Amino acid sequence: MTRVLLVDDHPMIGAALEMLLRGSSYELLGRARSVAEANRAIPREKPDLILLDVNLPDGTGLDVLRRLVRTRARPRVILLTAGMDESQLLTAADLRPEGMVLKTSDPGLLTEAMDAVAAGNRWIDPEIADRTRRAQERADSTPALTRRERELIELVRQGLRNRDIATELGVTEGTVKVYLHAIFDKLQVENRTELALRAAELISR
Amino acid sequence: MEQLTTLRSLFKFHSGRVISLGRVMLAITLFLVVMVGRTRSELTQTYPFLTLYAGLAVIIAVATWKNWWLDARLSVLTHGFDMAVFTAIAFSSTGATSPFVLFFILPLLSAAVRWSWRETALTAVVLILLFMVGGFLLYESAGFELQRFVLRGSILIILTLLLMWFGGHQRFARTFFRLRDSESVVREGQNPLARSLEFAMRASQAAGGALIVGAIGEDAADGFVAAGGEGRNFTAERALAVRFREGGDIALLFDLDAGRALTRPPQGYFRFLKAASVIDVDEARRLGLTEGVIAEISTGAHHGWLALWDVPDLSTDFLDFGRELAETVGALLERYALLDAIEAGAAVRTRLSLARDVHDSIVQFLAGAAFRIEAIKRSARSGGAVVPDLDELKRLFVEEQSEIRGFIMALRQHRDLELAEAVAELRALAERLGQQWSVDCRVSAEGDDVPIPLRLQLDLQQLVREAVANAVRHGGADRIDVGLSVASGQVRLSVADNGSGFPAINGDCATEPWSLKERVERAHGSLKLDSAPGSTNVLISLPLRGAAA
Repeated sequence: MTRVLLVDDHPMIGAALEMLLRGSSYELLGRARSVAEANRAIPREKPDLILLDVNLPDGTGLDVLRRLVRTRARPRVILLTAGMDESQLLTAADLRPEGMVLKTSDPGLLTEAMDAVAAGNRWIDPEIADRTRRAQERADSTPALTRRERELIELVRQGLRNRDIATELGVTEGTVKVYLHAIFDKLQVENRTELALRAAELISR
Repeated sequence: MEQLTTLRSLFKFHSGRVISLGRVMLAITLFLVVMVGRTRSELTQTYPFLTLYAGLAVIIAVATWKNWWLDARLSVLTHGFDMAVFTAIAFSSTGATSPFVLFFILPLLSAAVRWSWRETALTAVVLILLFMVGGFLLYESAGFELQRFVLRGSILIILTLLLMWFGGHQRFARTFFRLRDSESVVREGQNPLARSLEFAMRASQAAGGALIVGAIGEDAADGFVAAGGEGRNFTAERALAVRFREGGDIALLFDLDAGRALTRPPQGYFRFLKAASVIDVDEARRLGLTEGVIAEISTGAHHGWLALWDVPDLSTDFLDFGRELAETVGALLERYALLDAIEAGAAVRTRLSLARDVHDSIVQFLAGAAFRIEAIKRSARSGGAVVPDLDELKRLFVEEQSEIRGFIMALRQHRDLELAEAVAELRALAERLGQQWSVDCRVSAEGDDVPIPLRLQLDLQQLVREAVANAVRHGGADRIDVGLSVASGQVRLSVADNGSGFPAINGDCATEPWSLKERVERAHGSLKLDSAPGSTNVLISLPLRGAAA
């Protein structure tokens, strides 16, 4: 019997998985509804397999996985997600969970993934694998930002005008304009509003 | 009153007129003072000089009265003329009635008004030198009085320092208007170019105007032209005027029929130009420009031109006024851009928030339903009883359907709901929830009628759904009272039930329900939970203003 812990806050998913695993070779130990509950339940229940949702009320399943990766003997993990953005996909690829399943795929695929992972294999949903590869290609093709460009984006994010940015960086206003246009081209953003709104995401690349 | 207004309009923005009229009045006054009480022989000596001076003063005033070009052209010449007259007067008049001070002030004032403190200082130094040189030349003569010479010299130096201060400060003072006067023109949802141009035309009393602004580095720009009470948008493919690389933003006076243009860089001298060398004359004529002022606009991300024509009493003062006006228009456009950015940011955040709601509720529900159907299918294969599971699934679908309907209804609203309408929606929701969960669910409200933004309305509905579900599922409640009130910019929602309460952790305070807490935090609100067996009260406070984001 494989001991399973479900980490998911949505009641419908919880009830459905409970039904799905009933009478199978999997024993559902319980359900954690948040990162905090998961971090408490995992050492207590010592599951063999964790079905881990990505979006949780107090953080993400990736936070739980990151913590698990640092432990010596960790349970196998299947990320169960209704959708991840590109940065989450890249983070998940780095953390290498044993399985990744889309909630929106055929429900039969979950049991297939659980069987594969329980047998010691990796099972990644083809759609997730494809999206991860494309995200990786895009990240690789994006030119890296220089330190000065990152500084400038941060100042734009703070709402400073070109004149103030120039004073802050000790350059002329004209130089700031040239830098900004280079950044717009490099990051494929339309204007400073978009740059400011997406600053956190762009700087973290 | 009408005469006063006419008089003011004659001299407003006409420092050239003031200077030349002052010169005429000084000349005539001097002429009259000298003519009275002098002998025939004395008059014979001074008469030609006085006549020449008064005559020239009148000619200059008449010639430059309506001609800004000539006023600028003659400015240096008339300045030299005024200084020469001062020197002559200083050494040809004696006693307490000597008007030498007035003739000293005239060139200094005109330098301060026309140019800057540097020209004022230069003029003063030249005048004092002329005075000193004259004094030394006359030192040995019988008419020279050392005491009078020293006294006059001291007066000149004190006056010079005062006027230099004036000349230096008038450049920094906003002499024509203040930016706050223009604040009232910034309103959301208006064409920024049209509103900014309207402001500039009103301030300058121009009958025609054009405002062209584009992103820096791009040739095409958006424009708005207004004349004869009508306006239209247009796209400008070419720059209206040439940018001068030195001395910052510029303003140009132009007369297309005469082919002239005049500019003066800040702290610089007049520059006389051919209109075609600095203005795209074809484009200018196409827009309707004839004679007026063009000023350059530079903001952080945009560059453009403000053109005003058919300006009553156009003068060289419009070089400064135009530049100041362009600066204010630039500031107005930046404010509009800021409003747009705020609006766009709020719209993006609302859209993302709605997308997250759809994802969290509908997508998760459908995914769960699919898992359940798979489970039922497997159960059926192994001969299990599937009817109770199918009934439960049907109930869940009906429940979800009502939630989606409420969500869509809220999205369909073209305006924010008033509090009373939002309460009516919540009462309808409470009735549905009451039937769904078999509980007595009631809604009461108090407070002034205020608009409830869409985001807040959706949050309130979702919070009530989740609170009711929690009360029934976890507390086994059969009576739920929902209260809604608005006070001090906050919407307060209370959900009280008679259930067993939320479970406590380690005997400590009750755990806060995650789903409610997360939604409340996203709306920048606060949540308080009073939970005890038989009485649970969830108190939620949400800001009205933050709801748009």
